[in-house]
Amino acid sequence: MTIEKNKKMNKGEVTQIERVANEMFLIKIKVAADFNSRPGQFVSILCDNHTMRRPFSIMNFENGEISVLFKKKGEGTAYIACLNVGDTVDFIGPQGNGFHCAPEKTLCVGAGVGVAPVYYLKKVLGDNAKLVAGFQNENEIPFCLQSEIDFIATDDGSLGGHGSIIDYLDAQINEYKPARICVCGPHIVLKLVAEKAKQHCIPCEVAMEKTMACSIGVCRGCVVTLNRNGKIDNASVCKDGPVFLGEEIVW
Amino acid sequence: MVDLSVKRGKLILKNPIMTASGTFGYADEFEDFIDVSKLGAVVTKAISLKPRPGNSWNRVIEVTSGMINSIGLENVGVEKFIAEKLPVLREKNINFVMNLAGSGMDEYVELARICEANKIGAVELNVSCPNVKSGCLEFGTDARTLGELVKSVREVYNGCLIVKLTPNVTRIEDIGLAAQENGADAVSAINTLKGLGMKLSFKNGKFSREQVIGGFSGMAVKPVALGVVNRLKQVLEIPIIGLGGISSMQDVLEFFAVGAEAVQIGTANFTTPDISERIIDELAVFMEENGFETLDELKAVLRHFPPR
Ligand SMILES: Cc1cc2nc3c(=O)[nH]c(=O)nc-3n(C[C@H](O)[C@H](O)[C@H](O)COP(=O)(O)OP(=O)(O)OC[C@H]3O[C@@H](n4cnc5c(N)ncnc54)[C@H](O)[C@@H]3O)c2cc1C
Ligand SMILES: Cc1cc2nc3c(=O)[nH]c(=O)nc-3n(C[C@H](O)[C@H](O)[C@H](O)COP(=O)(O)O)c2cc1C
Ligand code: FES
Repeated sequence: MTIEKNKKMNKGEVTQIERVANEMFLIKIKVAADFNSRPGQFVSILCDNHTMRRPFSIMNFENGEISVLFKKKGEGTAYIACLNVGDTVDFIGPQGNGFHCAPEKTLCVGAGVGVAPVYYLKKVLGDNAKLVAGFQNENEIPFCLQSEIDFIATDDGSLGGHGSIIDYLDAQINEYKPARICVCGPHIVLKLVAEKAKQHCIPCEVAMEKTMACSIGVCRGCVVTLNRNGKIDNASVCKDGPVFLGEEIVW
Repeated sequence: MVDLSVKRGKLILKNPIMTASGTFGYADEFEDFIDVSKLGAVVTKAISLKPRPGNSWNRVIEVTSGMINSIGLENVGVEKFIAEKLPVLREKNINFVMNLAGSGMDEYVELARICEANKIGAVELNVSCPNVKSGCLEFGTDARTLGELVKSVREVYNGCLIVKLTPNVTRIEDIGLAAQENGADAVSAINTLKGLGMKLSFKNGKFSREQVIGGFSGMAVKPVALGVVNRLKQVLEIPIIGLGGISSMQDVLEFFAVGAEAVQIGTANFTTPDISERIIDELAVFMEENGFETLDELKAVLRHFPPR
């Protein structure tokens, strides 16, 4: 995958921040005029007094602003959740390669906060895409996205289909007949979706996650193992990824 | 214009700000952030004779004011480095030091020979990586073995020979002296400390635990590094390159005060990718504004000033 890269340090102003689900927040940041991104790319945010920047998928880029959807996990995300409109965010990005944005029928699959980059993909692909997503329960669904998701499943059945999004995948594939599947979510979901795609002989692009130290491809802290035509090699999630072909990942 | 240059025997730098091995890739990755050719020198990621895949489990974790890494010296191997990375560094006029990691005496000597043949101006022997089981660590922790290693490398290599010391020893002075007596041109200290980072959380009645065992670096290790440089300065004649937790010009001055001739920026490159260039600029402005014409003048004042 070749794309132009623009890895500069950025400072942007928070234009909006709000809680959109249980422990989940949406933040919008005004970015420089020459900023450009594509679905699957991420930004790496500096959190006060923290050595390692925290990576987050870009959920949208529109009107000179990027949106990030994030879930409160630990200190870094707690810091970001406390930012106010007008505060400055120091970030690196856009980083990584992103999904292929080819105009072919794409099934976008998201799980939990992983819905963010595939929502962006669906926006860019428009009529060429269908977005399906799974959440633990209805309180975990970001309200700002709910109407944009074509099919929702919840583990407890509180909204949409009852069960994991994986349980509905065969039906979704048979009905929609996608030319490819793009997925983001917890590791296990990525693995299961990649397996399903393989069974259906559909190419699958997965957005991987790994804890990052540098997020610019120098520390080798975020590597995954790939098998490319029998050749086993390491690839960094931050620079070579985060999007990889599912069939190439050594799970 | 103030003179930031460092000239101590074979250690010749246009300014004292270097970047530390493993935190700066092979330099080209940083071109989007800084003018890499401005740096005193870039120390490359450790290079071994054969490519190394590195460790496969979780490799990095944040700890208070620092991080733990267990990268396991993943690198492209010397052949590929010479073929692909070296021409880029040379073409772009980037001053660099090759960080060498052997898994035994023979490998270090072979690497040094390759460096000599390719006219590499400076090498840094990584005798202190805590992540690789065989070889490496023993050289850094035993004065006699280290002495033999430095001697063998010196026999085949004429450029600037820097030995990077581990803080994970009882008497660092003995190790530093062994390097000096056997022909090292400089020592650099410190490499990472041995540590364990953990993230433990309790949610929905269940614990989850993430941990990484490996090298501890970042702001939190600075007092250890300053302590080591201070001890080395009492016994060594050869120049000391100080590193460990440096993230500001103030930190650099502290290392000068305890006797470092140059410094390396490591983990701070991750937090702030343009930090090295910023420190060079700040240092120049500070000297200019305060009437220091040369780095030696500044160092002399810093060292003369009695600590309270
Ligand atoms: C390419 C990429 C894109 C990402 N996009 C998003 C996104 O759009 N929205 C979002 O909310 N999160 C995203 N993440 C995950 C996000 O980076 C982490 O949740 C965040 O770094 C946690 O920081 P913290 O300081 O709050 O938690 P920490 O204090 O670092 O950790 C708290 C807990 O969170 C867990 N955790 C830490 N890092 C991760 C991680 N990378 N993945 C999963 N769990 C983690 C730890 O195991 C720990 O138990 C992305 C990660 C990557 C690599
Ligand atoms: C991710 C990472 C990789 C490293 N790799 C190497 C290496 O290959 N060779 C080496 O000599 N030191 C390596 N180091 C050690 C650093 O060069 C430096 O000695 C140490 O991190 C202390 O400095 P700091 O606190 O400024 O980072 C590495 C450090 C980190 C954080
Ligand atoms: S986080 Fe450093 S290489 Fe990816």
